[in-house]
Amino acid sequence: MDEIRAAYARFGIEVEAPTTYGTYYRLCCARCKTMEGNVGDKLLPGMIHTLLEEQFDLYAAGLLGCACGHQAERARTLDPARAEAARTRFA
Amino acid sequence: MSEMTVIEEAEQRGRTDLWPFWRKAYAQGDPLPKLTCQVSRPAYRFDEGDPLPEEYKGLLLRMLRHEGERAGNKSFLGLMGTCAELAEALFPDQETKLLKSEYLAEELKHAIMFHRLAVGLDHGFALKDVPYTHYAFHLPRESWADDALFHFFVDLNGAFHARDWRESSYVPLQKMAPTVERDELGHSEMGYYFLTQICGDKRGKALAQHLLSKWYAAALDMFGRSDSPNVPKFIHWGLKSVGNAEIRQAYKQYADKKLLALGLDLPDEGKNRRFL
Repeated sequence: MDEIRAAYARFGIEVEAPTTYGTYYRLCCARCKTMEGNVGDKLLPGMIHTLLEEQFDLYAAGLLGCACGHQAERARTLDPARAEAARTRFA
Repeated sequence: MSEMTVIEEAEQRGRTDLWPFWRKAYAQGDPLPKLTCQVSRPAYRFDEGDPLPEEYKGLLLRMLRHEGERAGNKSFLGLMGTCAELAEALFPDQETKLLKSEYLAEELKHAIMFHRLAVGLDHGFALKDVPYTHYAFHLPRESWADDALFHFFVDLNGAFHARDWRESSYVPLQKMAPTVERDELGHSEMGYYFLTQICGDKRGKALAQHLLSKWYAAALDMFGRSDSPNVPKFIHWGLKSVGNAEIRQAYKQYADKKLLALGLDLPDEGKNRRFL
């Protein structure tokens, strides 16, 4: 779970305490705490980095992430050129 | 009146033009391909209470552990909890939320059915917690499109396995198979219906296309390695009809056709795959 928490932290997403009987964790916006989804704890090693890297453009363009815009802002901070290109492409 | 009759009656009251989605899918005949065993094998048949060969019972329990939909399986209930949470948090309108609640009700019906099967097989198994180990059940779901793809692919996997159980040598499972297959196919169709709505919008379609590569690889990986050493044993005992590669191929053909009909491009079959 440490790997998953760290990967999501880059995008301003908090991995909350497990839901119901464990195994699954809520994903919440680090700024406004709105629930954005969930993730399980049995991804293969390294997988979350690949997945979130592939989702970078979606966060940047606001297709994924909180309506408050925090993840889009994080993407712009992480890689401004890529984020701008993604926003243009998905506009 | 049996408990299942009561459940069936309750289900009848939940019918709408859309729900259950399997109704439309089966209206033109069998939507799923028949999975025919290509090797010669003995014709075993075991019913509840029959003494089971040790290897047979071990394989059957292994299969049911993977299946997971069991009232006494806390991890299954946890997964259902995440589905309810997602619907509350992400689903766009009351119609989709209601559909998702019907889905949950139907999965809990399966949990009762598999509970009865577990009790008839091994009392100790009935309350055994078996977390889903395949990564497909743990992929992040961060949008309605993720959830739609989850149902389209993962429930379709369940439908294909249940299709195979129609020929199962374990009679209680063979009896349940048509209902489970039909319902799971309906759940996949629910995901497909959501995808159709999502793809009706330019940005929604772009999102679905982007997320497809995540779910497509996981869906194909769910059938396991093509050279799995246990598969010939499952086939010998009549617990499966075909190998992992064959059922994966049949599944892929079915899913690809549906995805192309949505106007989506198919991802590279080998991209991000972990279990070939």
